[in-house]
Formats: sequence, structure tokens, C-alpha cells
Amino acid sequence: MSASDVQATVIAPRTQHSAPRWTAVLLASMTAIALASCGGAGGGSKSHTNAGAGTPVNGGTLRAAMVSNPDHLDPALAYSTETWEMLAATNDSLVTFKRASGNAGNEIVPDLATAMPKVTDHGTTYTFHVHPGVKFSPPVNRAVQPSDIKFSIERLFRVNSPGVGFYTDIRGAAEYEKTKRGGISGIVADNRAHTITFHLVQRDGTFLEYLAMPFADAVPVGTPDKDVSTDPRWRIATGPYMFKSYTPQGSITIVRNPNFHQWTPNIPNGHLDEIHVTIGTSPDQAVNEIADGDLDYYFEAVAPDRLAAISKQYPSQVHTYTRNALLYFTLNGRKPPMNNVKVRQAINYAVDRPALVKIFGGQGTPTENLIPSGMTAYKPHHFYPYNLAKAKSLVDASGTKGMAVQVWASSTDPQPEAAQYMASVLNSLGYHATVKTMSEGIYYDTVANEATDPQVSYNEWDEDFPEAEDYVDAQFNGRYITKIGTNDNSNLNVPSLNRQMNKVREMAIGPAREAQWAKLDAEIMKTQAPIVPFMNRDFPKFYSSRLHGLVFNATFYELFPSMWLSK
Amino acid sequence: MSVQAPDLNVVDGPAVLAAPAADAVGNWRAAWRRLRRNRAAMIAGAVFIFILFASFPGATLWVHLVAHRGPNVQNLQGVIMSGGRKVPVVSADGTPIGPGFRGEYLLGADANGRDLFVRLLYGGRTSLTVGIASALLCTLLALILGIPAGYYGGIVDRSVSRLLDLIWSFPVYLLAIAISASLIVGGLDIGPIHISSSSLLIPIIVIAVVYIPYIARPIRGEVLALRRREFVEASIAHGAGPVRVMTREILPNVAATTLVLFTLIIANNILTEAALSFLGVGVSVLTPSWGNIIQEGYSTMVTAPWQTLAPGIAIMLTAISLNVLGDGLRDALDPHGRRRGGGR
Repeated sequence: MSASDVQATVIAPRTQHSAPRWTAVLLASMTAIALASCGGAGGGSKSHTNAGAGTPVNGGTLRAAMVSNPDHLDPALAYSTETWEMLAATNDSLVTFKRASGNAGNEIVPDLATAMPKVTDHGTTYTFHVHPGVKFSPPVNRAVQPSDIKFSIERLFRVNSPGVGFYTDIRGAAEYEKTKRGGISGIVADNRAHTITFHLVQRDGTFLEYLAMPFADAVPVGTPDKDVSTDPRWRIATGPYMFKSYTPQGSITIVRNPNFHQWTPNIPNGHLDEIHVTIGTSPDQAVNEIADGDLDYYFEAVAPDRLAAISKQYPSQVHTYTRNALLYFTLNGRKPPMNNVKVRQAINYAVDRPALVKIFGGQGTPTENLIPSGMTAYKPHHFYPYNLAKAKSLVDASGTKGMAVQVWASSTDPQPEAAQYMASVLNSLGYHATVKTMSEGIYYDTVANEATDPQVSYNEWDEDFPEAEDYVDAQFNGRYITKIGTNDNSNLNVPSLNRQMNKVREMAIGPAREAQWAKLDAEIMKTQAPIVPFMNRDFPKFYSSRLHGLVFNATFYELFPSMWLSK
Repeated sequence: MSVQAPDLNVVDGPAVLAAPAADAVGNWRAAWRRLRRNRAAMIAGAVFIFILFASFPGATLWVHLVAHRGPNVQNLQGVIMSGGRKVPVVSADGTPIGPGFRGEYLLGADANGRDLFVRLLYGGRTSLTVGIASALLCTLLALILGIPAGYYGGIVDRSVSRLLDLIWSFPVYLLAIAISASLIVGGLDIGPIHISSSSLLIPIIVIAVVYIPYIARPIRGEVLALRRREFVEASIAHGAGPVRVMTREILPNVAATTLVLFTLIIANNILTEAALSFLGVGVSVLTPSWGNIIQEGYSTMVTAPWQTLAPGIAIMLTAISLNVLGDGLRDALDPHGRRRGGGR
């Protein structure tokens, strides 16, 4: 059964993800890179490059760098684009998104499963046959069993994974979330038959998408119920690469997994022998190092102020990808004065979105929508044209003038500047605004924590999977509110909206469903204004001249196994 | 930016001026005459006064008469006349306008479209306020600790000395960062008084505390020597109590040393403020300070170096002028010390 067949029989949707995850985008979006060999895909790359041309060469060490520590290397907890990029090369789940760019990369294909699942009971039961020949990396060195997959899903609930919201419609999961005892009754693993079956409470149009995310990656039974990012005994891989070492504030070394033997064409082996990731490299420093030939790959986008110059000087080494990234400020409805809808609407009126785009180097387009412009469900609306006078009158009517408001952002440029812009907007409305910044490595976990609960926080949402549910339901359905790692940072929890979203999730993927998400997008922004969406961001990247085989996948971003280095 | 502990060039003990209070006025006049003859010190003093003027009344005047835009006014969508044509303050690709001979945006704009020259002037106000206020607080605390320690000796001296040793045992910047980081979230509560985390009082207090030993120790040493001087013993013999002796006899005689140390510590405090703000644990990012402006310009150092150079030069000029002025004051107030150093 093909992926599309399965999707057609299944049902509902949901999603999640919070700030960090930058994952990406989907669909057609893609962009680019497509260039040369990958063909098509539409979208986005405004220049090509060393993309796919030439005959791949095996071997070599990729010199990569990132700005700060990754959030987690534990698949249950990882929720940033950087970590999903790496986990796509090291770990596997039952199904996955095809390792390709463009629309092809949105296709769900078997990974640890031998084939797409058998879907029965009107789309509420999924049965997978698990491939018997996949081994965990050292030091575990044994075959992956269906019970490992059940364990991995249950572990999400025990470690307060930010991804639990995707799996609470499995029968028994809601109870397990509360008790953490007895396992999830709706997951039945049979190691002898090599099968695993999921029983859902209701149809879910995007359940396979949930299983394709790294949250569902298989980890061995016995993995501790805590973050194992720095514990090599339990940082276990199944894919072509494995994490050899991780020193926070230092580096990450990824090497070939000696136990990897390709079992499916969907998970190709890699060309590189090693990937060495240096932690703590600023965007500006990365540009210099790549230009000097000292660095091959940088996880972040090009420093905005450097883009114009390097595009002229190194045109073949710069790509700009279009991705479904939504940039916004979250207005926490649980905290005064943001618990007043007039205030939230006022801030939306007071923000000059094109001005904010300039702070991001003009690398994107202004938006008022929740759904990014690259998705087919996108239907632009304009409820909040820039109108400072109207904003002030709304604040006056709210009776909240003069209150203190703190704006949070990470310290990675240009977020502090964006936060200062928002603070100036709040001050102009009569509030006493302050700004708080912190390292990006801890920022998204911090703002998604109930104990922190910032009034206003900068956020970015990248695609978890290619469906508009990811931008509506996953962030604004009250079911996603958790104490730790919440996706619903604005704490929007309106029963009537929740019911509508629950209903849409049950619909099959297609135009009718997309129309419903677009309708909810407009309704949420018009009546609740829980966030200030301001930009769909492009993703300009700069690579070394010796790096080839670049493939940009909407969800996993750039695929390390495809990369190769010229001699 | 240096992260070294400051070298105040003051030894731990009697160094500067020790004379009966009756001679004090004459000594000050003589010192002023000597200072006036020190050309370098006078130029440094003039530079510092100019910086003070530019940062306080000058900043306000510039905004009202020339720039017409305050330090926090963001103008991302604005257009100004430059070179006879209209140019955006921040272009569509986020590039801010550069320096030019014009009233508005003399030094260009920052990424948020704020007038960099105006921010430089107001940043000076903040940095000088923090530097001078923290120096005053530091000096006051140092006097409160150092004079009794030197006067009473014994357990009081040992207690104060150990406290100073404790503070001194930490690298000054590390200690400042640690204290700042702990206060930057919730602010500071002193009894019923709450100091907001965005208040300038936070960096003022932090910087004052970490530099106390650098003033308290020399003062303590000087008081130890003064305690045995005849005019002090005569005062005690006439029935003066400890508080009176310390305030009427000792304090005037450590004033010159204190003044020199105060001048020198201002420069260190301004540098410390800049360092802490650059690291994100100093002055609130919404308040322009030289350190904050450097930090904001850091990401564009390659394409817009003036954003970091301008406040850097301002800090350098301020620090040099204060150090030269402080050296001049020391020479003027301690002519014997200068001769011992082999002066002219």
C-alpha cells in the first residue's frame, strides 16, 4: 500500500511542536536545492551550487558548526531543526519522510517497517511488520524488536517529551500520561511475529506523519527515563551514523554506525566518514570560516548583514531555501495583561510587520496568518493593518496601561533586536517593557515551561510534517498545553475552537480539510489573536566549495547521508 | 576588552597625604597649583569634562536641536535626506544607513533604525552614571569598612580584612558576572525595597561591591599609620570619642588618597559596565550604554564597524582621560611620593 493510499484511508491530524523545532517545512516548499540532480521541487532555492553535481565520493570529515548546544540528542526530547537534521542520519522510526527534496520529500515511506501498515477498523488500527534485520549501534548491538518501539513511545510520556501530544490519541495513552504505569494498552508489540499494532481512540488523518517524526524513533528497551544526550551508553543509533561523542559547549562527533547494513532504499548509506560539529560558532564567524575554507557546513542561516556580499562573492556557494517557517511573538493568555483579548489585538495592530522583516535582513515575507504562505491551505487574511491609534484605544479600553511586560528572546541574532522592537511597541502602547535574552540552546525549553511562563516570547515554528494542522491544531488546541515542553505557548484553550480542531483532525488529508484549517486560522487570529505572526522566513545558507550532494528535505532539512566532499 | 583586575597603582599602606587637618586647606591649594602645572592632566581633565558635557546636557540639546529623535526611537521604515536624495534609514535587506555629514544619523543607524550618534551620547550618560555612581558607592563602602578596620585594629581589622580577602579572591569580572546574573531576573530585594532587574542600580551596586577591596585596603593601611600620629592621640587625650576621631581627624587626612582612588576607579567601573553589558548581564538592553551599543554592533562588525568603533573610542577616551587625570591628582597631592619616584 502506498503512502498516499494509507493517508487516504486514515484520518485525523494533529501536530505539535514548539518553538524550537525548526524543522521544516514541507511541501512543496522545498526549494531548492533541488537543483541539479534532485530535480524539481519547487520552490525555492534562489541559487544553486555545489548541490548534486558530480559523482559522489566516499570518505572525509565534514567540518560543521552550530551556534550553541543542541537542545537534546535524545530523540524523545529533541525538537530543534539542528537535532532533527542529525537524528535523520542516526535514528529510525517505523515510517519516515522520503529522503528527498521537494514534494517527493513529503511522501511517507517504510523505514523500520517492512512495508506501509495495514489500516483497519475504519482507520483506527495500524499494524506494522518490523524489519528483522536492523541492529542497534554499539554498545547495545542487538536487533530492533517491536517491543523497543512500544517502549520508545511510552518513554515519551515518562520523560515529558514535547512530542507527547501527537500520541495521546492512541488508546490508553491518556491514562498512561497520568499514571505512567502499566504501559499503553493501545500499542501491542509481538516480538515473535515481528509486528506492532496501534489502536487509536479516533481516526487521525496524520497518524503516520506522527510516527515519521523523530519522537517515534526506536530506542532500546532499558533506556533510562531521562535525557540521555550526554550518555554514550544509551545514545543508541540505528541509521548509517551514530553519535560518538558530545561535549556541551564543545563539539559533537558523528561517525559511521558499524552495525548499519542498508535494509531499505529509503534509508541510504552516507558518503561521509565523519561529521565534526563545533559548538559556539556565531553566524558571522561561520561566514568567515567558510569563506576561508575552514568550515564546510553551518546549521544556521547566513548572518543577515553578510548575505548580500557573500552572494556576490561566492554565488555558487549560497542557497536560499523557502521553508514553512513562521516567526511570531507569543502572547501568553495566562499572564496579565495578555489574558485580555483587547491587549492581544492591540499589539497585533501596533506591530509594523514589514519593519520587523527588515530586522531579519528582509529574508522573508510579512504575514498575519498562522499557516505559512508555502502551504496549500494558506489563505491570506488581514485583520490587523498597522494602526497605532486603534491599538492605543484598545489598550485604553482594556484598563491595563502601565503594567510591566517582559519580552523574551534567545540571544541569537537578530532575535534580541526583534525583542527590542516588540518592547518599543509595548512601550508606545503605555506598558513598561523589558527584554530578557538567553542562549538559544536552552531558550525554547525555557519558554515552553509552565514555571517560566513568559508574558511575551519570540518564537519560530517550522514544519513537523507537511500539513496545516501543524500550524493550527498543534499550537492552539488546549490539548497541547503541558507543564513542560508545551506546544501551546499562548495557552489558548477555547472549548469551541478545540472542538472544531478535533473534528478537522479526523478528516482525510485533502482540500476540504485544508479549507477548514484556513477557516480556523482566520477565526483564531480574528477572535483570539494569541500570537503576533509577522514573517515567513527564507533560509539562506552558505557552504564550502568542497561540499556537494545537498538535499533539502522539508521536515529534516539538509540530509547528511547525501552529502559528500570533493577531494 | 580587558578583563584584568584593575591596577590602581596604589600600595597597601600610607601613601598619599597625611597631615593634621589644620594644614588641609593649604595643602589643597598647593595641590591645585601643582595640578595646573601638569599639562597632560589638565588636557585629560578637559577631555573628561567635554565627555561629561556631551553626555548630559549635550545629548539632550542634540536631540532637541538637531536629531529630533530620541535614543530609543526605532525608525525602521523611515526615509531621510542624505547627499541631496532620499535614502531609507534601514533598507529592505536590513542594511542600516551609514555615517554621513548630516544632523540626523550622523553616525548612521543601528539594525532597529535608531540614531547611533544619539545613542552614543545617551549611552555615555548611562555609562558615566554607572561609572561615577558605582565609584561613589564603592568609595563610601570602602571608607565605612577601611577606617574602622585601621582605627580599631584587632578583631575588627581581622574581620574586615578577611571580608576584603574573600571578595578579592574572586576574579573581579567573574564575581561581577555571577552577581549580575543572579540579580538580572528578579532584581534585588533589600528589606522592603525592591530594585527592578532593569534598574541602573543593579549594575551600580554590583560594580561597587566587587571593587571595594581596591579602595578599602589602601585606606585601611593609611589609617593604621594615622592612628599613631600625634594629632590623633592629642584628640583622644582631649576626650574625643572614636566616631569623632575617625570623622574629624582621620577622614580629612585620607581625603586626598580617597580622591585619587575615586578618580581612578571611575575608569575601571566604566570599563566593567561596558564588559558586563556586552556580556548581557549589565545595563538592560533597552537602555543605551556604551557596552550595550558595542554588543548590538558586534553582529555587524564586518559590514558596519563604526557601530562598535564609536562606543569603543568613547570608552577609550574616557578611560585614558580619567587615568591621566588620576595620575595627575596623585602627583599633585603627593609631591613627596613623586620625588621618591624620581620626578623632575
